[in-house]
Amino acid sequence: MAARVRGREALTGYIFVLPALALFAVMGVYTVGYGLLLSFARWNGFSPKWTWVGIGNYLDLLYNDPTIAPLVQGAALRTLVVMIGVPLLTVVIGFPLAVALNRITWLRSAFRTVYFLPHVTAGIALFYAWTYALQPEGSINFILHSLGLGSLAQPQGWLGNPATALPTLIVVMSWSAVPVAMVLYLTGLQSIDQSLIDAARVDGAGGLRTMTSIIWPLLLPITGAVIMLNVRDAMQGFQIFLLMTNGGPGGHTLVLGLESYNLAFVNAGRPTLGLSSALGWIMFVVALLLAWVNLRVLRSRT
Amino acid sequence: MKARVVMYAMLVAYALISLYPFLLMVSGALKDSKEILLDGHFIPSNPTLSTLVSTWSDLHFFTYFGNSLIVTGFTTVGVLVVYALAGYAFAVLRFPGNRLLYGMFLSLLFVPGVTVLLPVVILQQNLGLIGTFPGIILPFINGTAPLSIMLLTNSFRSVPGELKESARCDGAGELRTFWSIYLPVSRPALITIALLTAVPTWNEYVLTRVSLNDAALYTLPLALQNLNSSTAPQENVLMAASLIIVIPVIILFVALQRYFVNGLQGAVKG
Repeated sequence: MAARVRGREALTGYIFVLPALALFAVMGVYTVGYGLLLSFARWNGFSPKWTWVGIGNYLDLLYNDPTIAPLVQGAALRTLVVMIGVPLLTVVIGFPLAVALNRITWLRSAFRTVYFLPHVTAGIALFYAWTYALQPEGSINFILHSLGLGSLAQPQGWLGNPATALPTLIVVMSWSAVPVAMVLYLTGLQSIDQSLIDAARVDGAGGLRTMTSIIWPLLLPITGAVIMLNVRDAMQGFQIFLLMTNGGPGGHTLVLGLESYNLAFVNAGRPTLGLSSALGWIMFVVALLLAWVNLRVLRSRT
Repeated sequence: MKARVVMYAMLVAYALISLYPFLLMVSGALKDSKEILLDGHFIPSNPTLSTLVSTWSDLHFFTYFGNSLIVTGFTTVGVLVVYALAGYAFAVLRFPGNRLLYGMFLSLLFVPGVTVLLPVVILQQNLGLIGTFPGIILPFINGTAPLSIMLLTNSFRSVPGELKESARCDGAGELRTFWSIYLPVSRPALITIALLTAVPTWNEYVLTRVSLNDAALYTLPLALQNLNSSTAPQENVLMAASLIIVIPVIILFVALQRYFVNGLQGAVKG
Protein backbone atom coordinates (compact mmCIF):
# COMPACT_ATOMS: atom_id res chain seq x y z
CA MET A 1 0.00 0.00 0.00
CA ALA A 2 2.66 2.50 1.09
CA ALA A 3 4.82 1.55 -1.88
CA ARG A 4 1.90 2.08 -4.22
CA VAL A 5 1.24 5.53 -2.77
CA ARG A 6 4.89 6.41 -3.13
CA GLY A 7 4.92 5.13 -6.71
CA ARG A 8 1.95 7.29 -7.54
CA GLU A 9 3.62 10.30 -5.97
CA ALA A 10 6.79 9.74 -8.00
CA LEU A 11 4.76 9.37 -11.18
CA THR A 12 2.91 12.62 -10.45
CA GLY A 13 6.29 14.23 -9.80
CA TYR A 14 7.59 13.24 -13.22
CA ILE A 15 4.39 14.36 -14.94
CA PHE A 16 4.59 17.76 -13.23
CA VAL A 17 8.23 18.22 -14.23
CA LEU A 18 7.68 16.94 -17.78
CA PRO A 19 6.75 20.23 -19.53
CA ALA A 20 9.75 22.01 -18.03
CA LEU A 21 11.98 19.08 -18.89
CA ALA A 22 10.74 18.82 -22.48
CA LEU A 23 11.41 22.50 -23.01
CA PHE A 24 14.82 22.12 -21.40
CA ALA A 25 15.68 19.14 -23.59
CA VAL A 26 14.87 21.04 -26.78
CA MET A 27 15.86 24.59 -25.89
CA GLY A 28 18.59 23.84 -23.34
CA VAL A 29 20.36 20.54 -24.01
CA TYR A 30 20.07 20.74 -27.79
CA THR A 31 21.27 24.32 -28.08
CA VAL A 32 24.08 23.90 -25.57
CA GLY A 33 25.22 20.65 -27.21
CA TYR A 34 24.96 22.14 -30.68
CA GLY A 35 26.93 25.21 -29.60
CA LEU A 36 29.63 23.07 -28.05
CA LEU A 37 30.00 20.90 -31.18
CA LEU A 38 30.02 23.95 -33.41
CA SER A 39 32.90 25.41 -31.41
CA PHE A 40 35.08 22.61 -32.84
CA ALA A 41 34.12 23.25 -36.45
CA ARG A 42 34.34 25.82 -39.19
CA TRP A 43 31.07 26.84 -40.82
CA ASN A 44 29.64 29.87 -42.63
CA GLY A 45 25.99 29.14 -41.85
CA PHE A 46 25.02 28.13 -45.38
CA SER A 47 27.21 25.31 -46.69
CA PRO A 48 25.75 21.87 -45.97
CA LYS A 49 28.90 20.59 -44.26
CA TRP A 50 31.00 21.58 -41.29
CA THR A 51 34.79 21.34 -41.42
CA TRP A 52 36.08 19.88 -38.17
CA VAL A 53 39.08 21.74 -36.77
CA GLY A 54 39.37 20.30 -33.26
CA ILE A 55 40.43 22.98 -30.80
CA GLY A 56 41.63 25.14 -33.70
CA ASN A 57 38.98 27.78 -33.08
CA TYR A 58 40.05 28.18 -29.46
CA LEU A 59 43.71 28.52 -30.45
CA ASP A 60 42.86 31.00 -33.22
CA LEU A 61 40.96 33.14 -30.75
CA LEU A 62 43.63 33.03 -28.07
CA TYR A 63 46.79 33.58 -30.15
CA ASN A 64 47.00 31.73 -33.46
CA ASP A 65 45.06 33.82 -35.96
CA PRO A 66 46.86 37.06 -36.91
CA THR A 67 43.67 39.03 -37.48
CA ILE A 68 41.23 37.53 -34.96
CA ALA A 69 43.51 37.08 -31.95
CA PRO A 70 44.54 40.77 -31.58
CA LEU A 71 40.87 41.74 -31.97
CA VAL A 72 39.89 39.31 -29.21
CA GLN A 73 42.73 40.47 -26.95
CA GLY A 74 41.66 44.09 -27.32
CA ALA A 75 38.05 43.15 -26.67
CA ALA A 76 39.08 41.09 -23.64
CA LEU A 77 40.93 44.06 -22.18
CA ARG A 78 37.93 46.35 -22.66
CA THR A 79 35.60 43.71 -21.22
CA LEU A 80 37.88 43.53 -18.18
CA VAL A 81 37.72 47.31 -17.78
CA VAL A 82 33.91 47.09 -17.88
CA MET A 83 33.89 44.16 -15.45
CA ILE A 84 35.89 46.21 -12.94
CA GLY A 85 34.40 49.63 -13.63
CA VAL A 86 30.70 48.79 -13.47
CA PRO A 87 30.69 46.84 -10.16
CA LEU A 88 32.98 49.41 -8.54
CA LEU A 89 30.86 52.39 -9.57
CA THR A 90 27.67 50.54 -8.67
CA VAL A 91 28.87 49.81 -5.13
CA VAL A 92 30.29 53.32 -4.65
CA ILE A 93 26.94 54.88 -5.61
CA GLY A 94 24.51 52.21 -4.37
CA PHE A 95 25.85 51.79 -0.84
CA PRO A 96 25.74 55.45 0.34
CA LEU A 97 22.38 55.84 -1.37
CA ALA A 98 20.93 52.91 0.57
CA VAL A 99 22.40 54.20 3.84
CA ALA A 100 20.86 57.63 3.27
CA LEU A 101 17.54 56.08 2.26
CA ASN A 102 17.56 53.92 5.38
CA ARG A 103 18.03 56.97 7.63
CA ILE A 104 15.02 58.92 6.41
CA THR A 105 11.32 58.18 6.73
CA TRP A 106 9.68 61.08 4.89
CA LEU A 107 9.44 60.34 1.14
CA ARG A 108 11.42 57.11 1.48
CA SER A 109 9.16 54.97 -0.68
CA ALA A 110 8.84 57.74 -3.27
CA PHE A 111 12.62 57.92 -3.61
CA ARG A 112 12.85 54.15 -3.82
CA THR A 113 10.29 54.04 -6.64
CA VAL A 114 12.14 56.70 -8.62
CA TYR A 115 15.52 55.04 -8.09
CA PHE A 116 14.16 51.77 -9.36
CA LEU A 117 12.85 53.03 -12.71
CA PRO A 118 16.21 52.69 -14.55
CA HIS A 119 16.21 48.98 -13.76
CA VAL A 120 12.69 48.02 -14.87
CA THR A 121 12.77 50.06 -18.04
CA ALA A 122 16.28 48.94 -19.11
CA GLY A 123 16.38 48.34 -22.84
CA ILE A 124 16.50 49.89 -26.24
CA ALA A 125 14.26 52.88 -25.39
CA LEU A 126 16.59 54.02 -22.60
CA PHE A 127 19.70 53.40 -24.68
CA TYR A 128 18.30 55.66 -27.39
CA ALA A 129 17.45 58.33 -24.81
CA TRP A 130 21.05 58.22 -23.54
CA THR A 131 22.44 58.28 -27.07
CA TYR A 132 20.31 61.36 -27.72
CA ALA A 133 21.63 63.00 -24.54
CA LEU A 134 25.25 62.26 -25.39
CA GLN A 135 25.25 63.66 -28.94
CA PRO A 136 27.44 66.66 -29.90
CA GLU A 137 24.33 68.88 -29.81
CA GLY A 138 22.84 66.87 -26.97
CA SER A 139 21.59 67.60 -23.53
CA ILE A 140 24.74 66.67 -21.57
CA ASN A 141 26.90 69.15 -23.51
CA PHE A 142 24.13 71.74 -23.18
CA ILE A 143 24.01 71.30 -19.40
CA LEU A 144 27.80 71.60 -19.14
CA HIS A 145 27.74 74.83 -21.16
CA SER A 146 24.94 76.26 -19.02
CA LEU A 147 26.89 75.47 -15.86
CA GLY A 148 29.92 77.32 -17.22
CA LEU A 149 31.76 74.02 -17.66
CA GLY A 150 31.87 74.31 -21.44
CA SER A 151 35.49 73.18 -21.46
CA LEU A 152 34.33 69.72 -20.36
CA ALA A 153 31.83 69.41 -23.20
CA GLN A 154 32.63 66.91 -25.94
CA PRO A 155 32.30 68.57 -29.37
CA GLN A 156 32.43 65.13 -31.08
CA GLY A 157 29.82 63.78 -28.70
CA TRP A 158 30.54 61.55 -25.71
CA LEU A 159 30.22 58.37 -27.76
CA GLY A 160 32.05 59.82 -30.75
CA ASN A 161 35.30 60.53 -28.95
CA PRO A 162 37.41 57.34 -28.65
CA ALA A 163 38.73 58.47 -25.26
CA THR A 164 35.33 59.00 -23.66
CA ALA A 165 33.16 56.35 -25.36
CA LEU A 166 33.96 53.38 -23.12
CA PRO A 167 33.94 55.31 -19.80
CA THR A 168 30.61 56.85 -20.83
CA LEU A 169 29.11 53.41 -21.49
CA ILE A 170 30.40 52.22 -18.10
CA VAL A 171 28.60 55.12 -16.43
CA VAL A 172 25.35 54.33 -18.27
CA MET A 173 25.63 50.63 -17.36
CA SER A 174 26.24 51.52 -13.72
CA TRP A 175 23.26 53.86 -13.82
CA SER A 176 21.10 50.84 -14.77
CA ALA A 177 22.76 48.62 -12.16
CA VAL A 178 22.51 50.93 -9.13
CA PRO A 179 18.79 50.19 -8.42
CA VAL A 180 19.31 46.50 -7.72
CA ALA A 181 22.41 47.17 -5.60
CA MET A 182 20.51 49.83 -3.65
CA VAL A 183 17.57 47.53 -2.90
CA LEU A 184 19.86 44.70 -1.80
CA TYR A 185 21.84 47.02 0.50
CA LEU A 186 18.60 48.40 1.89
CA THR A 187 17.44 44.88 2.77
CA GLY A 188 20.77 44.22 4.44
CA LEU A 189 20.65 47.46 6.41
CA GLN A 190 17.19 46.67 7.70
CA SER A 191 18.34 43.30 8.99
CA ILE A 192 21.24 44.76 11.02
CA ASP A 193 20.60 44.54 14.74
CA GLN A 194 20.18 48.13 15.98
CA SER A 195 21.74 47.23 19.36
CA LEU A 196 25.10 46.65 17.63
CA ILE A 197 25.04 50.19 16.32
CA ASP A 198 23.88 51.59 19.66
CA ALA A 199 26.70 49.75 21.44
CA ALA A 200 29.23 51.28 19.07
CA ARG A 201 27.74 54.71 19.77
CA VAL A 202 28.08 54.17 23.52
CA ASP A 203 31.72 53.26 22.98
CA GLY A 204 32.10 56.67 21.38
CA ALA A 205 32.21 55.69 17.73
CA GLY A 206 31.06 58.47 15.40
CA GLY A 207 28.80 58.12 12.41
CA LEU A 208 31.59 57.53 9.92
CA ARG A 209 33.37 55.13 12.29
CA THR A 210 30.19 53.07 12.80
CA MET A 211 29.78 52.99 9.07
CA THR A 212 33.25 51.78 8.19
CA SER A 213 33.88 49.40 11.08
CA ILE A 214 30.41 47.92 11.71
CA ILE A 215 27.92 48.43 8.88
CA TRP A 216 30.25 47.94 5.91
CA PRO A 217 31.79 44.67 7.22
CA LEU A 218 28.36 43.28 8.10
CA LEU A 219 27.15 43.98 4.57
CA LEU A 220 30.14 42.38 2.84
CA PRO A 221 28.07 39.38 1.66
CA ILE A 222 25.72 41.80 -0.07
CA THR A 223 28.65 43.60 -1.66
CA GLY A 224 29.78 40.17 -2.85
CA ALA A 225 26.40 39.47 -4.41
CA VAL A 226 26.29 42.90 -6.07
CA ILE A 227 29.79 42.43 -7.52
CA MET A 228 28.92 38.92 -8.69
CA LEU A 229 25.74 40.01 -10.46
CA ASN A 230 27.44 42.93 -12.17
CA VAL A 231 30.56 41.05 -13.20
CA ARG A 232 28.32 38.46 -14.88
CA ASP A 233 26.21 41.10 -16.60
CA ALA A 234 29.26 43.10 -17.64
CA MET A 235 30.80 40.07 -19.27
CA GLN A 236 27.69 38.70 -20.96
CA GLY A 237 25.70 41.83 -21.73
CA PHE A 238 26.46 43.36 -25.09
CA GLN A 239 23.07 44.82 -25.97
CA ILE A 240 24.05 48.30 -24.83
CA PHE A 241 27.22 48.14 -26.95
CA LEU A 242 25.31 46.86 -29.98
CA LEU A 243 22.71 49.61 -29.75
CA MET A 244 24.69 52.63 -28.54
CA THR A 245 28.04 52.36 -30.34
CA ASN A 246 28.13 49.02 -32.20
CA GLY A 247 31.77 48.79 -31.12
CA GLY A 248 32.74 52.21 -32.42
CA PRO A 249 34.32 54.65 -32.75
CA GLY A 250 37.04 52.67 -34.51
CA GLY A 251 36.57 49.55 -32.38
CA HIS A 252 37.15 51.42 -29.11
CA THR A 253 34.07 49.89 -27.47
CA LEU A 254 34.27 46.41 -28.98
CA VAL A 255 33.77 43.91 -26.13
CA LEU A 256 33.82 40.10 -26.13
CA GLY A 257 30.05 39.63 -26.20
CA LEU A 258 29.70 41.94 -29.18
CA GLU A 259 32.63 40.26 -30.96
CA SER A 260 30.96 36.87 -30.48
CA TYR A 261 27.69 38.30 -31.83
CA ASN A 262 29.47 39.79 -34.86
CA LEU A 263 31.25 36.52 -35.63
CA ALA A 264 27.89 34.73 -35.64
CA PHE A 265 25.56 37.24 -37.28
CA VAL A 266 27.64 39.86 -39.09
CA ASN A 267 30.02 37.40 -40.74
CA ALA A 268 29.30 38.18 -44.42
CA GLY A 269 29.52 34.53 -45.43
CA ARG A 270 32.89 33.91 -43.78
CA PRO A 271 33.13 30.60 -41.88
CA THR A 272 33.32 32.22 -38.44
CA LEU A 273 30.31 30.63 -36.72
CA GLY A 274 32.49 28.11 -34.90
CA LEU A 275 34.77 30.91 -33.70
CA SER A 276 31.76 32.72 -32.29
CA SER A 277 30.70 29.62 -30.44
CA ALA A 278 34.18 28.96 -29.08
CA LEU A 279 34.39 32.54 -27.82
CA GLY A 280 31.07 32.05 -26.02
CA TRP A 281 32.41 28.97 -24.28
CA ILE A 282 35.60 30.71 -23.21
CA MET A 283 33.41 33.39 -21.63
CA PHE A 284 31.31 30.68 -19.97
CA VAL A 285 34.36 29.08 -18.36
CA VAL A 286 35.65 32.44 -17.15
CA ALA A 287 32.21 33.25 -15.67
CA LEU A 288 32.13 29.93 -13.86
CA LEU A 289 35.67 30.44 -12.49
CA LEU A 290 34.81 33.93 -11.28
CA ALA A 291 31.64 32.67 -9.59
CA TRP A 292 33.67 29.99 -7.85
CA VAL A 293 36.38 32.45 -6.70
CA ASN A 294 33.71 34.84 -5.47
CA LEU A 295 32.03 32.07 -3.47
CA ARG A 296 35.36 31.05 -1.92
CA VAL A 297 36.19 34.63 -0.94
CA LEU A 298 32.75 35.10 0.60
CA ARG A 299 32.94 31.83 2.54
CA SER A 300 36.37 32.63 3.93
CA ARG A 301 35.10 35.96 5.23
CA THR A 302 32.11 34.66 7.09
CA MET B 1 19.83 68.80 11.28
CA LYS B 2 22.63 69.72 8.91
CA ALA B 3 23.31 66.05 8.22
CA ARG B 4 19.64 65.59 7.34
CA VAL B 5 19.73 68.45 4.83
CA VAL B 6 22.85 67.03 3.18
CA MET B 7 21.20 63.61 3.02
CA TYR B 8 18.05 64.92 1.37
CA ALA B 9 20.11 67.00 -1.05
CA MET B 10 21.99 63.86 -2.07
CA LEU B 11 18.78 61.84 -2.44
CA VAL B 12 17.10 64.52 -4.54
CA ALA B 13 20.19 64.85 -6.73
CA TYR B 14 20.24 61.14 -7.46
CA ALA B 15 16.48 61.13 -8.07
CA LEU B 16 17.09 63.70 -10.82
CA ILE B 17 19.86 61.55 -12.27
CA SER B 18 17.52 58.54 -12.22
CA LEU B 19 14.78 60.45 -13.97
CA TYR B 20 17.02 62.26 -16.43
CA PRO B 21 16.55 60.06 -19.55
CA PHE B 22 12.80 59.86 -18.95
CA LEU B 23 12.55 63.64 -18.72
CA LEU B 24 14.60 63.81 -21.89
CA MET B 25 12.14 61.48 -23.66
CA VAL B 26 9.25 63.74 -22.66
CA SER B 27 11.16 66.86 -23.66
CA GLY B 28 12.22 65.38 -27.01
CA ALA B 29 8.78 63.98 -27.80
CA LEU B 30 7.16 67.38 -27.21
CA LYS B 31 9.52 69.31 -29.48
CA ASP B 32 8.69 69.88 -33.13
CA SER B 33 10.98 68.71 -35.93
CA LYS B 34 12.75 72.09 -36.19
CA GLU B 35 13.37 72.67 -32.51
CA ILE B 36 14.74 69.15 -31.99
CA LEU B 37 17.69 70.03 -34.24
CA LEU B 38 18.75 73.12 -32.29
CA ASP B 39 20.52 72.03 -29.11
CA GLY B 40 19.90 70.02 -25.98
CA HIS B 41 17.74 72.55 -24.09
CA PHE B 42 15.09 70.98 -21.89
CA ILE B 43 11.90 73.03 -22.07
CA PRO B 44 10.31 72.98 -25.55
CA SER B 45 9.35 76.49 -26.68
CA ASN B 46 6.25 75.29 -28.56
CA PRO B 47 5.33 72.00 -26.91
CA THR B 48 3.26 69.83 -29.25
CA LEU B 49 1.56 66.47 -28.87
CA SER B 50 1.45 65.94 -32.62
CA THR B 51 4.70 63.91 -32.70
CA LEU B 52 3.34 61.44 -30.15
CA VAL B 53 0.05 61.14 -32.02
CA SER B 54 1.65 60.73 -35.45
CA THR B 55 4.26 58.26 -34.15
CA TRP B 56 1.46 56.15 -32.72
CA SER B 57 -0.72 56.17 -35.85
CA ASP B 58 1.55 56.63 -38.89
CA LEU B 59 4.04 54.02 -37.83
CA HIS B 60 1.53 51.30 -37.03
CA PHE B 61 2.50 51.34 -33.41
CA PHE B 62 -0.83 49.77 -32.64
CA THR B 63 0.29 46.62 -34.49
CA TYR B 64 3.68 46.58 -32.77
CA PHE B 65 2.08 47.23 -29.41
CA GLY B 66 -0.24 44.28 -30.03
CA ASN B 67 2.67 42.06 -31.09
CA SER B 68 4.57 42.96 -27.93
CA LEU B 69 1.48 42.17 -25.84
CA ILE B 70 1.05 38.77 -27.52
CA VAL B 71 4.70 37.77 -27.06
CA THR B 72 4.88 39.05 -23.48
CA GLY B 73 1.48 37.56 -22.55
CA PHE B 74 2.13 34.05 -23.89
CA THR B 75 5.64 33.98 -22.43
CA THR B 76 4.39 35.01 -18.99
CA VAL B 77 1.50 32.54 -18.92
CA GLY B 78 3.78 29.79 -20.22
CA VAL B 79 6.35 30.46 -17.51
CA LEU B 80 3.71 30.41 -14.78
CA VAL B 81 2.13 27.14 -15.92
CA VAL B 82 5.31 25.21 -16.70
CA TYR B 83 7.42 26.29 -13.74
CA ALA B 84 4.68 26.33 -11.11
CA LEU B 85 4.10 22.65 -11.90
CA ALA B 86 7.82 21.91 -11.81
CA GLY B 87 8.36 23.96 -8.64
CA TYR B 88 5.56 22.08 -6.91
CA ALA B 89 7.12 18.75 -7.88
CA PHE B 90 10.56 19.85 -6.65
CA ALA B 91 9.25 21.30 -3.39
CA VAL B 92 6.54 18.83 -2.38
CA LEU B 93 6.70 15.53 -4.26
CA ARG B 94 9.27 12.83 -3.61
CA PHE B 95 10.66 11.10 -6.67
CA PRO B 96 14.06 9.73 -7.63
CA GLY B 97 16.19 12.38 -9.33
CA ASN B 98 14.37 15.28 -7.71
CA ARG B 99 17.52 17.05 -6.50
CA LEU B 100 19.55 16.26 -9.59
CA LEU B 101 16.97 17.74 -11.95
CA TYR B 102 16.59 20.80 -9.75
CA GLY B 103 20.36 21.38 -9.83
CA MET B 104 20.41 20.89 -13.57
CA PHE B 105 17.89 23.68 -14.12
CA LEU B 106 19.81 26.06 -11.86
CA SER B 107 23.07 25.43 -13.72
CA LEU B 108 21.52 27.11 -16.77
CA LEU B 109 22.07 30.39 -14.94
CA PHE B 110 25.72 30.40 -15.95
CA VAL B 111 25.34 29.78 -19.68
CA PRO B 112 25.98 33.12 -21.43
CA GLY B 113 23.09 34.17 -23.64
CA VAL B 114 25.37 34.84 -26.59
CA THR B 115 26.64 31.23 -26.58
CA VAL B 116 23.20 29.78 -27.28
CA LEU B 117 21.89 32.61 -29.42
CA LEU B 118 23.08 31.08 -32.69
CA PRO B 119 22.01 27.49 -31.83
CA VAL B 120 18.57 28.81 -30.91
CA VAL B 121 18.23 30.46 -34.32
CA ILE B 122 19.35 27.25 -36.06
CA LEU B 123 16.89 25.27 -33.95
CA GLN B 124 14.12 27.66 -34.99
CA GLN B 125 15.04 26.98 -38.61
CA ASN B 126 15.03 23.20 -38.11
CA LEU B 127 11.65 23.28 -36.38
CA GLY B 128 10.23 25.64 -39.00
CA LEU B 129 9.66 28.24 -36.29
CA ILE B 130 12.02 30.94 -37.54
CA GLY B 131 10.25 34.25 -37.91
CA THR B 132 7.24 33.15 -35.84
CA PHE B 133 6.07 34.08 -32.35
CA PRO B 134 6.37 30.52 -30.95
CA GLY B 135 9.97 30.57 -32.20
CA ILE B 136 10.85 33.31 -29.72
CA ILE B 137 8.32 32.54 -26.99
CA LEU B 138 9.67 29.02 -26.33
CA PRO B 139 13.30 30.12 -25.76
CA PHE B 140 12.06 33.06 -23.68
CA ILE B 141 10.17 30.65 -21.42
CA ASN B 142 13.15 28.33 -21.11
CA GLY B 143 15.42 31.29 -20.40
CA THR B 144 13.56 32.12 -17.19
CA ALA B 145 13.78 28.51 -15.93
CA PRO B 146 16.55 28.90 -13.31
CA LEU B 147 15.10 31.94 -11.56
CA SER B 148 11.44 30.86 -11.83
CA ILE B 149 12.09 27.35 -10.56
CA MET B 150 14.25 28.62 -7.72
CA LEU B 151 11.75 31.21 -6.49
CA LEU B 152 8.67 29.02 -6.87
CA THR B 153 10.28 25.96 -5.28
CA ASN B 154 11.34 28.07 -2.30
CA SER B 155 7.91 29.56 -2.02
CA PHE B 156 6.13 26.16 -2.17
CA ARG B 157 8.56 24.75 0.40
CA SER B 158 7.51 27.40 2.88
CA VAL B 159 3.86 26.26 2.77
CA PRO B 160 3.15 24.44 6.06
CA GLY B 161 2.90 20.65 5.62
CA GLU B 162 -0.28 20.47 7.73
CA LEU B 163 -2.19 22.22 4.96
CA LYS B 164 -1.26 19.44 2.58
CA GLU B 165 -2.04 16.70 5.09
CA SER B 166 -5.48 18.07 5.79
CA ALA B 167 -6.21 18.28 2.07
CA ARG B 168 -5.11 14.66 1.74
CA CYS B 169 -7.47 13.64 4.53
CA ASP B 170 -10.30 15.33 2.65
CA GLY B 171 -9.43 13.05 -0.26
CA ALA B 172 -7.97 15.73 -2.54
CA GLY B 173 -5.64 14.44 -5.26
CA GLU B 174 -2.27 15.92 -6.16
CA LEU B 175 -3.67 18.26 -8.78
CA ARG B 176 -6.40 19.51 -6.43
CA THR B 177 -3.89 20.12 -3.62
CA PHE B 178 -1.65 22.02 -6.02
CA TRP B 179 -4.47 24.05 -7.53
CA SER B 180 -6.58 24.94 -4.52
CA ILE B 181 -3.98 25.10 -1.73
CA TYR B 182 -0.47 25.76 -2.98
CA LEU B 183 -1.23 28.17 -5.81
CA PRO B 184 -3.47 30.55 -3.80
CA VAL B 185 -1.02 30.61 -0.86
CA SER B 186 1.89 31.41 -3.18
CA ARG B 187 0.17 34.24 -5.00
CA PRO B 188 2.88 36.82 -4.14
CA ALA B 189 5.61 34.59 -5.57
CA LEU B 190 3.57 33.97 -8.72
CA ILE B 191 3.02 37.69 -9.26
CA THR B 192 6.74 38.29 -8.71
CA ILE B 193 7.63 35.68 -11.34
CA ALA B 194 5.06 37.12 -13.74
CA LEU B 195 6.64 40.57 -13.41
CA LEU B 196 10.23 39.35 -13.59
CA THR B 197 9.25 37.57 -16.82
CA ALA B 198 7.00 40.16 -18.40
CA VAL B 199 9.26 43.20 -18.07
CA PRO B 200 12.44 41.78 -19.63
CA THR B 201 10.34 40.10 -22.34
CA TRP B 202 8.68 43.41 -23.16
CA ASN B 203 12.14 45.01 -23.45
CA GLU B 204 13.88 42.08 -25.21
CA TYR B 205 15.75 43.00 -28.36
CA VAL B 206 18.61 40.71 -29.40
CA LEU B 207 16.90 37.34 -29.96
CA THR B 208 13.86 39.05 -31.43
CA ARG B 209 16.06 40.91 -33.88
CA VAL B 210 17.85 37.84 -35.18
CA SER B 211 14.61 35.79 -35.31
CA LEU B 212 11.91 38.00 -36.77
CA ASN B 213 12.22 39.21 -40.38
CA ASP B 214 8.64 40.09 -41.20
CA ALA B 215 8.03 43.73 -40.24
CA ALA B 216 4.37 42.93 -39.60
CA LEU B 217 5.44 40.77 -36.63
CA TYR B 218 7.88 43.27 -35.09
CA THR B 219 7.65 43.95 -31.38
CA LEU B 220 8.04 47.48 -30.02
CA PRO B 221 11.84 47.35 -29.51
CA LEU B 222 12.32 46.22 -33.13
CA ALA B 223 9.94 48.88 -34.39
CA LEU B 224 11.95 51.47 -32.49
CA GLN B 225 15.22 50.16 -33.90
CA ASN B 226 13.68 50.22 -37.36
CA LEU B 227 12.76 53.88 -36.92
CA ASN B 228 16.34 54.68 -35.97
CA SER B 229 17.88 52.88 -38.94
CA SER B 230 15.53 54.53 -41.43
CA THR B 231 17.10 57.06 -43.77
CA ALA B 232 16.45 60.19 -41.73
CA PRO B 233 15.78 59.29 -38.11
CA GLN B 234 14.27 62.18 -36.20
CA GLU B 235 15.03 62.41 -32.53
CA ASN B 236 11.60 63.72 -31.58
CA VAL B 237 9.97 60.68 -33.24
CA LEU B 238 12.48 58.35 -31.56
CA MET B 239 11.82 59.87 -28.15
CA ALA B 240 8.04 59.66 -28.70
CA ALA B 241 8.37 55.97 -29.61
CA SER B 242 10.64 55.35 -26.61
CA LEU B 243 8.06 56.94 -24.36
CA ILE B 244 5.35 54.66 -25.79
CA ILE B 245 7.48 51.62 -24.92
CA VAL B 246 8.45 52.77 -21.45
CA ILE B 247 5.12 54.05 -20.11
CA PRO B 248 3.35 50.66 -19.72
CA VAL B 249 6.34 49.30 -17.81
CA ILE B 250 6.40 52.31 -15.49
CA ILE B 251 2.66 51.94 -14.77
CA LEU B 252 3.03 48.22 -14.10
CA PHE B 253 6.00 48.81 -11.84
CA VAL B 254 4.48 51.61 -9.80
CA ALA B 255 1.32 49.54 -9.26
CA LEU B 256 3.10 46.34 -8.24
CA GLN B 257 6.52 47.42 -7.04
CA ARG B 258 6.61 45.49 -3.78
CA TYR B 259 6.54 42.25 -5.79
CA PHE B 260 9.57 43.36 -7.76
CA VAL B 261 11.53 44.08 -4.62
CA ASN B 262 10.51 40.77 -3.01
CA GLY B 263 11.58 38.92 -6.12
CA LEU B 264 15.02 40.50 -6.13
CA GLN B 265 15.59 39.72 -2.49
CA GLY B 266 14.41 36.14 -2.97
CA ALA B 267 16.69 35.68 -5.96
CA VAL B 268 19.76 36.67 -4.00
CA LYS B 269 18.93 34.78 -0.81
CA GLY B 270 18.38 31.75 -3.03
